Order: sequence, then C-alpha cells, then structure tokens
Amino acid sequence: MHTPMVETTTGRSSPMTLTGYQRRAAWHLKLLLAPSVLLLGTFVIYPAFYSIYLSLTNEALSGPAALNPRFVGTRNYVRLFSDGGFWNSLLVTFWFVLGSAIIGQFILGLVSAVLLRRPLRFRPLINAIILMPNAVPEVVAGFMWVGMLAGGEHATLNKIVAWFGIPSQNWLVTFPLTMIIIVNTWRGIAFAMILLTSGISSISHELYEAARMDGATPRQIFFRLTLPLLMPTIFLYMLVSTVTTIALFGLVYALTRGGPGGATEIIGIYIFNQSFTAFQLGFGSAVAVVMLAISVVIGIGYVRLLKVQV
Amino acid sequence: MPNGSAKNSASVKSADAAAYGVLAVISLYCAIPFLWVFIASVDSEPSQFLAWPKEWSLQNYINIFARQDGFLWIANSLIIVGSATLIVMVLGGLGGYALSRSHGWWRRPFLYTIILIRVVPPTALIVPLYKVLLTANSVVGGIVRAVMPPDLVRPTMHIFGFIDGYLGIILVLAATQLPLALWIMKTFFDTIPRDYEEAAVMDGATLMQTIRRVLIPLALPGLGAAGLFAFIIAWGDFLMPLIFLSSAELQTLPLGLFRAYMRVNQLDYGFMTALAVIYTLPAVIAFGFARRFLVQTFGGGVKG
Amino acid sequence: MAAIELNGVQKSFGTVDVIKGVDIRIEDGEFAVFVGPSGCGKSTLLRLIAGLESINAGEFLLDGKSMNEVAPDKRGIAMVFQSYALYPHMTVAQNIGFSLDLKKVPKDEIRAEVEKVAEMLQLSELLDRRPAALSGGQRQRVAIGRAIIKKPSVILFDEPLSNLDASLRVQMRAELQRLHQELAATVVYVTHDQIEAMTMADRIVVLKDGEVAQSAAPIDLYKRPANTFVGTFIGSPRMNLLSASVRRSSDGSVEARADNGWVIVLPDGFSAFDGDRIKIGIRPEHLRLVALPAAISAKVSVVERLGVETYLTFNHPKGSIVARLEGDITVKVGEQVGLEVTENACHLFDSSGASIQSG
Ligand SMILES: Nc1ncnc2c1ncn2[C@@H]1O[C@H](COP(=O)(O)OP(=O)(O)OP(=O)(O)O)[C@@H](O)[C@H]1O
Ligand SMILES: [Mg+2]
Repeated sequence: MHTPMVETTTGRSSPMTLTGYQRRAAWHLKLLLAPSVLLLGTFVIYPAFYSIYLSLTNEALSGPAALNPRFVGTRNYVRLFSDGGFWNSLLVTFWFVLGSAIIGQFILGLVSAVLLRRPLRFRPLINAIILMPNAVPEVVAGFMWVGMLAGGEHATLNKIVAWFGIPSQNWLVTFPLTMIIIVNTWRGIAFAMILLTSGISSISHELYEAARMDGATPRQIFFRLTLPLLMPTIFLYMLVSTVTTIALFGLVYALTRGGPGGATEIIGIYIFNQSFTAFQLGFGSAVAVVMLAISVVIGIGYVRLLKVQV
Repeated sequence: MPNGSAKNSASVKSADAAAYGVLAVISLYCAIPFLWVFIASVDSEPSQFLAWPKEWSLQNYINIFARQDGFLWIANSLIIVGSATLIVMVLGGLGGYALSRSHGWWRRPFLYTIILIRVVPPTALIVPLYKVLLTANSVVGGIVRAVMPPDLVRPTMHIFGFIDGYLGIILVLAATQLPLALWIMKTFFDTIPRDYEEAAVMDGATLMQTIRRVLIPLALPGLGAAGLFAFIIAWGDFLMPLIFLSSAELQTLPLGLFRAYMRVNQLDYGFMTALAVIYTLPAVIAFGFARRFLVQTFGGGVKG
Repeated sequence: MAAIELNGVQKSFGTVDVIKGVDIRIEDGEFAVFVGPSGCGKSTLLRLIAGLESINAGEFLLDGKSMNEVAPDKRGIAMVFQSYALYPHMTVAQNIGFSLDLKKVPKDEIRAEVEKVAEMLQLSELLDRRPAALSGGQRQRVAIGRAIIKKPSVILFDEPLSNLDASLRVQMRAELQRLHQELAATVVYVTHDQIEAMTMADRIVVLKDGEVAQSAAPIDLYKRPANTFVGTFIGSPRMNLLSASVRRSSDGSVEARADNGWVIVLPDGFSAFDGDRIKIGIRPEHLRLVALPAAISAKVSVVERLGVETYLTFNHPKGSIVARLEGDITVKVGEQVGLEVTENACHLFDSSGASIQSG
C-alpha cells in the first residue's frame, strides 16, 4: 500500500502519526505488556479496589451474612475505630517497626557494614553468617526461634542467660513483643548491611584521604563524613524496611500467631485473624484498607523523596 | 617514621580486635538458631535445644521420605514456586522490555503503579483475593464438572483449581512477584542500547526472532536476577499457601513444617529440623547468587 | 541500481520538528556524506532512510519507488551503527551471517558467504572470536561485514569511525573508499568530521536544524558556499566573516567598507546596491602578509606557530580575523602588519547570510 504523495507545505500529516513498521512496533510493545497487565489487574489492582467495596459490606465466610451480604456503609469503619483490638494492633505494629526495622536492624546493619569494611581475615565467613537469616524461609525462622526461646532451663536462650544469672523463663510468654522484635532484627540485619555497605562504598575514597590529611580522627570521620554522606541511603533503607516490616505476616504468625492475648498481633495478623478466624470478611477488609492507605502513603513518599526516575 | 608506623600498626591491631569482638557477638546471634537446626537434624536423639549429639545419624532425613510424604511436599513446592518463577521471568522479561522501549503516555503511570504495588502488603489483599479466587474457582469447577467424569473432578481441580489447586496459587504468587521483576527488567533493558534490536530489524528479524535470538541472550543476567528474587520470596512465602491450600495432596514445605510443629503434643524434632534444612537449602543457595543484585533492585532508577 | 530521492521529508518527535522538509537527491553509486552540527538531524534522516523511523510527511523514493511503507529489511538497505551493535553472544561469523541465518539459508551456504566477506575485510582469522575479544578497528570491520553480506544497494553509516583513534581512522577511511568502489553500492555516510566528509564524499549534504543548507560536491561546497552557515562550517580554521557596507563609485569600481575599518576592493558581479549591508567571507588561507604600507593593516593579537604553517589572529571588537599563513613566520604579538586578500577569494552574502555571488 502506497501513501499518496504528500505536499510538503500543505499536506503535512499530524506529528503523532506513525506508519508501517513504527505503528506495528508500538503495537507489539503493548502486546508484550498485556499479559502482565492482565495478571496484575486480576490479582492485585482489582482486589485492591474490591477491598474498598468489601469494607463497606457485612460480607462473612459463614453465618447468615455469608449467604446474603449487605451494604452497610461506613459501619465497619465506625466499629473499627472504637475497636480495642484494632488500636492494639496498630500500636504493636508501631513498636515492632520501630524496634526491629528502624532501630535493631539499622544499628546492627550499620555496625556490621562499617566493621566489615576492614580487611579482616574472616570477613567472607562473617558476611555469609550475617546473610543467612535473611535467606531463610519465614516458617523456618519462626520454627528456629520457637526452639531458641522456649521455656525450661534446658532451652537454648535460658542456658545462655543463665551465665549472667538471669532466671529461666518462657520468653515468648513473658516478653512477647520484645522477642518478635529480636527475631525480626535477626532476620533483617543483612538487608540493612547490604544497602549501607553499597552506600558507604559509593563515597569517594579521596574524601576520606582528604579528611585524614586534615587530621580527622576515625570517630570524627564517621560522624562528620560517613554519616552525613550516607543520609540518602539511610533514608532509602528506612522507607523500604518500614514498608516491608508493616507488611510482615508469616514470620510472626509462625512464632506466636499474634498471641499471647494479642501482644504480638501486628496488623497483618489482625487482618488474617479477623477475616479467616473470625470469618468477618467485611470488617477484615476495612482493616486492610487502612493498612493499604498507610503503605501507599509511605510508597508515595518513597517515590517523591527519592525522586524515582521512571 | 618507624616509631609512628609501629604505633599505627598497634592501634590497627587493637581496632581489629575490637571489630572482631563486636562481629563475633553479631555472628553468634545470627548463627545459633542455624546451629541448633542443623545439629538436631543429624542427631539420633534430637531435642528442641542446642546440644552436642551423642550419636550422629541421617535417619531424620531418611524418615522424611520413608515415613512421611516429604517427597510430595518438596515436589509441590518446586512445582508451585518453579512455575510462578517461570511465569514471572517470561512476563517480567517481555513487559520490562516493553516498558523500557515504549514512549506511550501510559508508561509513566504504569511504572508508578508498579512501584506502589510493591509497597502493597499481601495481607491487605488476601480477603478480596480470596473472593476473586473463589469466583474463579467456581467457574472452573463448573466447567470441569461438565466435561470430566466424576472421579476425575477432584484431581483435575487440584491442578486447575483456584482455591486448593496449583493454578490459583501459582498465579497469585506470580502476580505478587511480577512488579519487582518488571522493574528489574525495565532498568536492565534501559542499559541495553536499542542498536541491537534495530540491527536485528535491519537484518530482517521478526519480533519473535529478535526476542529469541537477540534480546533473551542479552537479557540473561537481568532475567537471572529477576528469577532469583521471585524464587526466593515465593519459596519463603507462607501466607498464600496457608490461605489457598488445604488438601494433603497439595501440602507444600512451609505448610508441612508449620503443621508439624503446631501438633504440640507429638513433636518430632528430628523430622522437623531435617525438613527445615531441606526447605532452607535452596533459598540460601539462591540468595547467595542473588546477593549482588539486591542493592540494584532498590537503587535502580533512584537519584540520591 | 539505487538512486535515493527525498521529497519534502518531515519528521517530528511529539511536538518537536526534527526534520523540516528535506529534499535531497543522491545518484546511484554515489558516496554521499551528511554533515552538520550535533543535533541537526543527521542520524534521524539516516534512520528515516533505513526505515527505523517513519516519515511524517513527504516521500522517500528508492529508484523511483516509494519506500515510506516498506519494512526496513525489505528496502535492500544495510546500516552500520555507530556503536557497531555487534551481538556479544555471537561469534564474528555468526554476527556476519545472522541475516542469512534468519532467512533460513543453508548453513554451508552461509559459511561460504561469510568467508567471502571476511576475506574482503581481512577478518578470516577472527571468525570464531566473540566481539569482546576484538579491537575497535576489527569490530568496525565486522559491523561492515554484517552490512555487506546482504548485498545491499544502499549502505548507511552513522559516524562509523568516531570510536576509533586518529591513525586507525585514516586507515579505515581508505578502506571504506576501496569497499565503496568494489561494491558499487550507494553509500550514505554521517559524520562530524569535515575532513572525512571532504576526502570521501562524491556529494556532501550540509544539514542545519533539520533543513538542507547545501548539497553539492565537496570542492563546490568549499568554493561556492550557498550561505554563511556552509561557509563557516566547511574549512578550518573557519571562514572569517566581516559585516560591511557596499560602496559603488561612479567610475564603476566597487569596494566594501568593513565595520572593523578594512576596505576591500571587490570585483563586480554580485547583486547589491550602493549602501547595502553585506557580509564578506574570507577564508584564513586567503590572507597574505604584505609589506607596510598596505591597503589593510592590522595589529597581531595572537601568534600560533605550528611549523608548517602559522596562524595569526587580529582581534577587533567589530570582528576578529584569523589568517593562515604557509611556513613558519616570525611576527610578534602587538606588531602592525600589512594584509592582502587573494584576488577573487571573497565570498559575499547578504545580511540574512545567503550568497549573493553570481556564478
Ligand atoms: N526518539 C526521539 N525522540 C525525541 N527526540 C529525538 C529522538 N531522536 C532524536 N531526537 C531529537 O532530534 C534532534 C536530532 O537528532 P539526531 O540524532 O538526528 O541528531 P544528529 O544530527 O545525529 O546529532 P549527533 O551529531 O549528535 O549525532 C535532536 O534534537 C534530538 O534530541
Ligand atoms: Mg547522530
């Protein structure tokens, strides 16, 4: 098919017109993306919006509402905000994120990253050991720590603390929140270390040499040079680890299933329990919508503050 | 100055010693749970506590296969996670390429959506997802019952069912891992000059030929990274099987392990620790390979 | 047989017009070179010819047949990319034979063709290597091999030598010319380098902001630039431009009074009236030193002695002048010297920059 001769001055086609090979190529690209769109649309995007609808109904897995769900308006939300369990789960989640992601993983990760910059002989071994907890599946991690933290004087942690004169106890019962923080810290040191190591190594070597020429002590170098230059990386780490820690489910569920008495019921577990133990899908969805909103707000912050280029 | 350097090396040594001290504590913290699981798994009389075995034995591993359905669980996990990973690699590769090369108006919104999807917690989606899969499952169930003899309905649904079937959980796991793969592949293709494809076009290659003969070989490192991450996360995931799988025939490793240690009164630590080791091994190996890509998945495309 | 004809070709990306109506004719077997400043649309024009970009308006004819809607691989055109775009996962032989392989040509036939091409390009020893194990010049030759194995009627080159070092560039220049003669294909060649353009081209197309500034044989471009843009673009150091007013005396003589004070006698035969503002282009090599007193005298501001020639710069607020003199000349900065313009060597342009010279 030949296009008729186009006159230069008058017959100019629209600048966006694509012809032949180009149009086909653009069409091909959409075709290549279509399966991804379909998959994400069906299993992520649609459910995300559907959860907003569900949260406005009294949908349930069993009982009369299961057969005939009704639209209940904002009733679930009203109930939610006066529900002690919900506020408890938010608070537990807050301490959990603060204790493990923001403080525990970050500090130990930073310490490891800084110390492992030294040309130590066992560096690769130590590196591998710190990475292991990050690779282990959630259930295995939970299983391991149930053993570590068990009650009775033969239990591993009790044996260790006995050296310091601390009495035996059932750790997951006496200090449940602290324990899940310790376990999650254990799991996430590696991620903080990897990210911070890459941040540190991207700081120019010449800066350190210049600082040494100026007579800075190692301590001054760390606080006046490394830390400020590491700020963007630290920020990235904080955002990413906050989002992933809020989203956590399996690790804590495998350890405590939210117990005892809701002491470790982070929001993910609260949703699960409300929806699949208490079978209240509508109410569970309302909690999920709140969680979704929190995560998306942090996600938008991530995009904006780090100037993600797309 | 010999004096200065002597002092220097002494201070380096003491600093090294201090570093070793701190790192040793961190390493013990990280390693002790592994030590227990590993040692208990080869102990003939394993317990819940870290202890040196009186007698070493591989009986626990043998038991998994001889006395339990360990083989089935491993196979289920491999089939489900392997298929999801494969889907993620194929779709992530094709889609990432399209995202890297297209100029359409939808490109930016799409990429931002992908970033936002990555922060959506899976727990926030399980309820609507359950409803979606329930609907899909009843549709598939209707079809299967219509075309299959009654005694084949159950096995068929185990494969094509959306609830308590391979297909559903495979697609769900693939969907949750796809955004990261799309992002990795998009940033990867951004670094591959278009000249390669254009040269192929000039050589007369069709789209499929370009993909097969030029793009896939060029994209292998990226595809490897995307596949590794999808595998590691899907392999370790516990939430989706917990919700969407129930039949004993579909039991996967995380479910098997979880259900085993929920049976409070009859815990077999040898069995569980051996299963934990088997379950952990692929993840640790994959993580070893994936480690060097980890930073790029967050740093890629980010301007500090 | 492949004559290229572009008629009113336009191309825009979004709202940005990149090619704004280009008319070019390149004869069969010609070696045509596109030159122009960075971003003027050389690569885009080449890619329009290749079919990698679509033409928004106008027509591209190959031997009189419209190619607008013809797929890139069906045009009988081959392209050598600036980055070479050699597939890193294929050997040299596989790279060169890829297009035949795609057409399902039998393996032994491909091998024979590849060997023929490799011999022509002195690549026979390297056929089993991968691109990573080749030098820059060798990669360049593989890229050319991949183009010529298709026996194209037109070969496009986008700055093919820009990644090579200077000496290799000279060598490849000669090799490309030899190939052009052997293959008898039409060549369109994009470069930044005007020496490359001047030495290799049968025809140079100078592009400016998506338009053709001039299309002519190299020496015509040098001798008769159609405008100040071409005048200053071709030649090194660049042509001096002086703003001046025309003075036509009653006795028929014509002179130009430049704003920097120079008075230059001009032969008549150009279209400008008494008092018109014009621009005079004088190439640095067309200035000579003469003994004082002289019609033009100027104070030397910079002396650059290169041995074989000497550049003198005369700074002036109304237009600085560079002279390029043969041999090593010992004048001092600050010295007053007399200058003379080679006869008939002035290029005259109107105030918009278009040539007003007849003939
Ligand atoms: N795909 C595109 N989308 C938008 N603008 C483009 C595209 N390709 C080229 N351009 C623009 O078109 C103009 C001409 O580009 P082109 O690559 O043809 O220049 P060029 O003459 O080859 O320059 P150079 O000598 O630097 O290679 C440039 O301003 C460029 O930014
Ligand atoms: Mg270019």
